[in-house]
Parts: sequence; structure tokens; C-alpha cells
Amino acid sequence: MLDTQISPRDGASRLGQTERDDTLLARNSRMASGATIIMRVRRQENGSIRYDTFDVPYRKWMRVLDALNWIAENAATDLAYRWICGSKMCGTCAVRMNGREILACWEAVEPEMTIEPLRNLPVIRDLVVDRAPFENKVARLEPWIERSNAYVGFPEPLSHKQMKDASKALDCIGCMCCYSACPVIGLGDLTDFAGPAPLVQLGQTALDPRNSSAKVARSLALTGIFNCVSCYKCEEVCPAAIPIVSRVIEPLKAKAAQLVPEMAGHARALRRIVAARGRVDPGALVLSVQGLRALTRLPRIVRLFLRGKINPLRTLFGTKTAAAEPARRLLGREASQ
Amino acid sequence: MQTLTADVAIVGGGAAGCYAALSLHKRGIKPVIICKGLVGKSGASLFAGNLVISGRLLGNTEGQARNTAEFLIKYHNQFLIDQEWARRCGAWIEQVYYPELEELGLYFRRDDEGNVVTSRGAIRSVAANVQGNSGVPFMDLRRKQIVRAGIPRLEETVATSLIRNSNGHVGGVFCLNYMTGEYVIVRARAVVLATGYSDRLHQRSTGTREMSADGLAMAWRAGATMVNMEMQWWHTNDIADPPTWQRMQVYPNPMLGSEKSARMVNSAGEEFFNQQNDDPLAFGPYTVQLKALVKQVHAGKARYDGGYYAGFDNCDANEVETYTTYGKTFRQLGLRFPEQLVETAVTSHYRQGGIDVDTATMRSSIPGLYAAGGVSGHSNGLIGLATYDGRVVSDGIAAEFDSLTDRPIADSECEAERRRLEKLRSRSSGGVSPAKVKEKLRKLMWEKVGVEKNAAGLRSALDDIEEIRLDVLPDMAISTQSSIANYEWLDAIDVMNMVEVCELIVHSSLERKESRGPFIRTDFPATDNKKWLVANVLKKSGNGLRFEQRPYQLPFFSPDFDVRDNLQVAW
Repeated sequence: MLDTQISPRDGASRLGQTERDDTLLARNSRMASGATIIMRVRRQENGSIRYDTFDVPYRKWMRVLDALNWIAENAATDLAYRWICGSKMCGTCAVRMNGREILACWEAVEPEMTIEPLRNLPVIRDLVVDRAPFENKVARLEPWIERSNAYVGFPEPLSHKQMKDASKALDCIGCMCCYSACPVIGLGDLTDFAGPAPLVQLGQTALDPRNSSAKVARSLALTGIFNCVSCYKCEEVCPAAIPIVSRVIEPLKAKAAQLVPEMAGHARALRRIVAARGRVDPGALVLSVQGLRALTRLPRIVRLFLRGKINPLRTLFGTKTAAAEPARRLLGREASQ
Repeated sequence: MQTLTADVAIVGGGAAGCYAALSLHKRGIKPVIICKGLVGKSGASLFAGNLVISGRLLGNTEGQARNTAEFLIKYHNQFLIDQEWARRCGAWIEQVYYPELEELGLYFRRDDEGNVVTSRGAIRSVAANVQGNSGVPFMDLRRKQIVRAGIPRLEETVATSLIRNSNGHVGGVFCLNYMTGEYVIVRARAVVLATGYSDRLHQRSTGTREMSADGLAMAWRAGATMVNMEMQWWHTNDIADPPTWQRMQVYPNPMLGSEKSARMVNSAGEEFFNQQNDDPLAFGPYTVQLKALVKQVHAGKARYDGGYYAGFDNCDANEVETYTTYGKTFRQLGLRFPEQLVETAVTSHYRQGGIDVDTATMRSSIPGLYAAGGVSGHSNGLIGLATYDGRVVSDGIAAEFDSLTDRPIADSECEAERRRLEKLRSRSSGGVSPAKVKEKLRKLMWEKVGVEKNAAGLRSALDDIEEIRLDVLPDMAISTQSSIANYEWLDAIDVMNMVEVCELIVHSSLERKESRGPFIRTDFPATDNKKWLVANVLKKSGNGLRFEQRPYQLPFFSPDFDVRDNLQVAW
């Protein structure tokens, strides 16, 4: 039963849980000790892929990792899966359960479940993925602090208010659940988007008031952050419950718009158009972002026109709607500049 | 086989290993880190819940500064510690550690007005971002420092053997990258073992997946002297179920910004531990808790593997949630927080003992071999202490650097080690799996070398280990010969180390004929400061071993009795 009273603040993750009637209490009490879990595990080595099915005996409060451990001890000793701490700290045991990214050590088992490795990363064997693409992206962003003012000694002046967003990002355990769930990362090399996890790693220092603006600008310039489509998939799967979009990506976008304005051309144009016309005008957006370059992509323009996505007459001669005034008020004065 | 050359090979990517690498790098000495897990993500350092403040930091009074020292020496180490080292360490933490971490950007939790939030009471601590999770941002910072400095790291690579050079000194490490199956020989002028405080040698253990006493086993095989191997610490209130969460603690330490903290009740619902009432120094009450539990077990109101409960039902939810992560465990099990308690059990935690070192340099008894942090046998764990060891070992190596020779290592030793590992991978049919051997070993350690021990049980444990060595190990076999991410092969390598070290622990436990803090012998129930306020030194001799005793100096704190029933002693 869908709870219609869910507010946007509750986040997409709660919506999903309500839909599937799998609150934690339900999942922790659905099975009795000794009941059988049917577990399908994706096995992969050297390009050959198969799914093995195991009957795992349920035990009290069993986590997915307990089930994997049971298989490795009793049924398939050659199963390759990564875990270190078993306590939601190291972030190395992330897998997909029934299509959703989870931390194996943290999530309760389902009566029937399919376990697969994370997406968007090469598989080494079975459930073990290569972390290197993620690590390299993080390293490239140089997520550390360069102070513009000399450090004054412990404890330095700093309040939690100033650290509010960075503090959320500091809960990140680098498990890459969000990196696997992100549809933009799923597009591969089509964009230069760094991805949610590397952005959270960057946010730890880029949203820290002690970091110099020049350093933050340098890092942000490498993120392709405006490719984020704010779909909230990352937030939905984050085991550390970090509000990735609202408290990390959005504040980073705002910083990028301010420190590296050329990155934000598209977003700024959109704001300008909405403020001026009181509506989204895709034709104006194309013109504003691409300028005369748009003419070199005529087939695409024609396609957009035929599908009714753009209307050149309206773009050129359409007057502003009554919504323009309130839009300007909501977006703020700088939007129309 | 690939050969790498560095000035110093560091085995371990936790607080001690990382800091040693960074300090050496700063001095222009080239380190390489070999890490069985991932640097900053494996081992015990990640579990640092909060950070103890020493000296006069953050308005500490003279009394609080003294309490911190007393806590470390008495409650944390039961006087089995070099007090001069402790004094140096405390001063370093006060003057260098905190400012350095903050300058790098570590966020010590503030309130909205900008005050650093501390716990209250006789000893105070702070948190990095959130209490219960401080190790995560702390070690993440170290990982990024290592990346930034460009220090080479071999991750998911297990060091399997120390290699001697032509001088007879330790001059390298034999390693296996278990993700690729490649062998790597790291040649270095010195090797630092920094493999941590805890290993998964008991059925319930805080040691993480990769911790199988490798550092201790390698050092022992190379002939290093060990000390106090019997001094095993225990967590008294870790989550009983599910098994994966066996190292998740209902933290009994004082809470940031609160007067209250966790309490424990027995199977009859009677409170038997409340941090605020029962812990005289109000910081690390692990031994105090353990002794309280032993009495409950004797009274039939709890078991070591469960049947008692812990939680924060005496606290206001807001108070617990503001600065800690404590609620997450409860909520994830579907329990109401903080109203409901969770069933808890004992878990083997840190080891006070380990490789015997000179605390001025962290040098072991073997030239070229150093040990820093938990694997060295000179103190029990706190992340600040492990970090300080990283600093001391870098000073020690720098001072002796010219005398550390860069000589060729013996190819025959490398070849023998390669053959040993290949053999462990080649046995494939019919035998018992390494995972089953681990289970068997951990079970016998839990049952016979657990919280309460006695000579008969310990001797029986030795018989069991001997049986595993003679009957089970030759029959051990793995099901895949893959060289890619072959954790089964890794398990087989681990088992050899675990068997060796378990045996040393049992021998050392038989040797210490008293009870002291968390080391409880039912056949020697008294703490005996006349005979046993000594280091229990274990040396290799021929094919066997022998024990020696070395007294501790007591310049600042000393016990106020000679002999007393251990359960009546506060620490």
C-alpha cells in the first residue's frame, strides 16, 4: 500500500521501501530460524557467466554477508566475494540484491534473492569488482585541503554550521553503491561526469570552509558535475544515508556555478530563460548554449522540430507568460542576468 | 615474479603503517606499503570510535591529564607497559598529533557555536565528525595523504614471508597479489610489520576478515622474540547476532555531550553494568565490564556467547543521536531505539602482547625487522598510540639508516616460499577446506582459550592444535586452482599462520601463572604483582621455545597491593 503522505524530504529511498512493503522490521521478522533462503549468485570468471542457486538456512537477523559466508564455508568454497569489516565501515562488500545496490554486511536477507556484482565497474571474478576506476577518479579530483590562510593551532575556529554539508559527506565509506546505481555513469564515456561517489569524496573537502577557493575550483573543473540529472538514484541506495543530491551535489553545483561559471553555461541559460519567459523554452536553450554552432547540427535540429521539442516561431516571437514575474521572484535577481 | 626495491617495506595499511610511511617519506626515505586489504580500509584502525585527549588539551585539568595516563597504564595495560614510552607518547599526542590532524583537515566535531564537543568526566575524548565512526574519516584522510604523497602501495597483496639478505638481516618480503595471482618480492633495507592488534583466532573476534596473525607468524618464523602473547583483551558487549556483526560494539564509553552512556542487563533483567556508576575512570571500561560479566556468568545469569543485553534505554534519544552513530545498529535490526536493548556477547578483541620491540626505535630482536602499532607487544590499543609508533619507527629507522645494508636477498629463500604457496594451491581433491580448518581452530580457541582458562584446558588445546597440524593440514585442499581473486588459496595461507600463532598464545597462557585484568586463569585466580608484574618473554630455541621474565619499571604508577583476587581488583 502506497503511503500518500510521503513528503519529498523523506527521499526516494523511503518511497521504494513502502512500495515493496519491506520495512526493516518486516524483513527482520519474516523468516524463522532454519527456514530456507533461495539464493542465486552470479558467477563469473574469464568472461564465462552463470548463475548458481543455493539453499541457505536462515539464522536470526541474518545479513546477506552471513549467507555468502555460509555458501563459502559449506556449498561453494571457491566463491569470490570481497568483504573486510562486516560493520558498514570499510565499504568493500557492496553487491546488488534483486537489482538494488546494498552493503552485504548491512542488509537483511530476502527469502528469495539474486546476488550480482556492482555495475559500471569491471568484474574481477564472481562478485569482486575492480575498484581502480573509482579510485583513480577520486585521486584525480585531489580531494584534500589547501589552506589559503595559515593554520592557527588546535582547536581552530570552526563551527558545525559551517561544516554541515561537508559533515554529511564525511559519512561516506566509499562503497560505490551510488556509482553502480548512477544512470549517467552507466552511459560510459558519453559524458565526463565523475559520478556520485567521487563527488561525495570531493565534497568532504570542497564543502569545507577551510579549503581555498582556488583549490576547490581546480577540482570542480574536472567533475563534469552538470551532467548530473538529479534522479536521486544515488540517494536511494546510499547505505550511509547521505543526502547525496541535496546536501552534496547541489551545493557543489552552486559552488561550481560561482567559481567556475563556464561549467554552468547550460544551467545558467535555463535559469535566465525561465526568469525571462516564465516557461522553459527548449529552442531558446539550444540557441543560448550552442549559439551558431547549433546550425552545424541541422539534422538534429530538424529532428527536434519534427518531434515538437522546439518551436522556432515561439522562440523568436513568443511573448513572456504571466509566470515570468513569479519565476523571477523565485529564482532571484541574478537569474535574469 | 616481480621484484620491487624500496628503502623500507611496510606491511600493513592501518594507523601505524600509514603514519610510518608518511613520516619516512617526509624524511626522503622511500617506503612501500604492502596491505592485505586496502590501505585505510582494512584492519582495526577503522573502528576507532572516538579519540582520547591527553595532557592539557581543550581545557583538560591537571587531574584529567593524570587520569588519562593512569587509565592507559592501569586499566588498558595492567601495568605491563613501558611508562616512559607512555609519557613520551602522551606528550606527542598533546603537542603534535591533534594539531597535525586538524591542519590536514580532520574535522573534530564542533557544536553550532564552534566549541569542540567532548565527553564529560574524569577522562575526555573527542570524535572525528561522529562518535562511533571516527576511524572512517581518520583513515580516509591517511589514505588520501598516501595517494597525495605518491607512496607506492601494493593492495590486496598478502605478505607471506620475511626474506633474509646475505648479511642474515631481514632484507625483504615475499608477497602474493591475490587478485592477480602474481608474486612480488619487495627488497628493502628494513621491514616494518604493522599488522595490527587483533586477529580472527577465536570463534568470535573483532579481527576483520584479513587478520590472521600474519605479522606475528612471519616474525616468529624469522626468529623474533615475542612478549605477553597471552594478554588477550575482550569486548564484553558486541552484537550477538547476526554473526557478521560480531565486532559491532554497543560502545560503553562516555558519550559526547552527555552525562549518560550504555548499560548492560543480565538474563533476569537486572542491571550489572552502567558506565557512569561502575567505571571509576569513566573511559575504557572493557576490563571492568568483563569482570562484571564473569560474575554474572558464574551466577548463571549470562553466557559468554549471549543471554545478556546492552543498550541506551536509560538515555534520551536526542542525546544519543546528536553526536553518535549508536542508533544505526538497533534500527537496522528493526529494534526501537533507544527503548529496546540488543542481545550481546563477548568477542576476542585486541592483544596487548606481540613482537618484542625496543620502544625507543621499534626495532625487534632481528636486525632489519621493526614492528609498529598493535603487532608490537608493548601496549594495548588506541589509534593515537598506534600512530605514535609509526612516528617512532620512522625516527628509529632514520637514525640507523646508514647501518641498514642494502644487500642481495637469497633467491633460494624466495624460491622455497614460492613452492610452498604453489603447493597450498595445488592440493585439490577430497581434503578438508581451509575455511573448515579455520572454523575448527577458532572453535577450539573459543572453548579452551577463551575468557576463563585453566591448565587442563590449555593443554588440551595444545593437543588439538597438534592434531590439526599432523592430521588435518596435510589433508587440506581447495576446490579451484584459479589465480584470480582466489580467497580459498588465501585462506589456506592464513591457516598456516593461525595454527602457528594459536600455539604460541596457548604456551604463553600456560606460562603466566596468575590472573591479570582480562587474562583470567581459574587455576591461578589471583593477580600476583610480586611474581608476575613482568613481561612474559617468548624466545625461539632450536625447534622449540623458552620463556624469560623481564620486570617493568614503575616510575609514575604502581599497584597498591602484592597479591589479590583478580575479580576484586578494579582494573
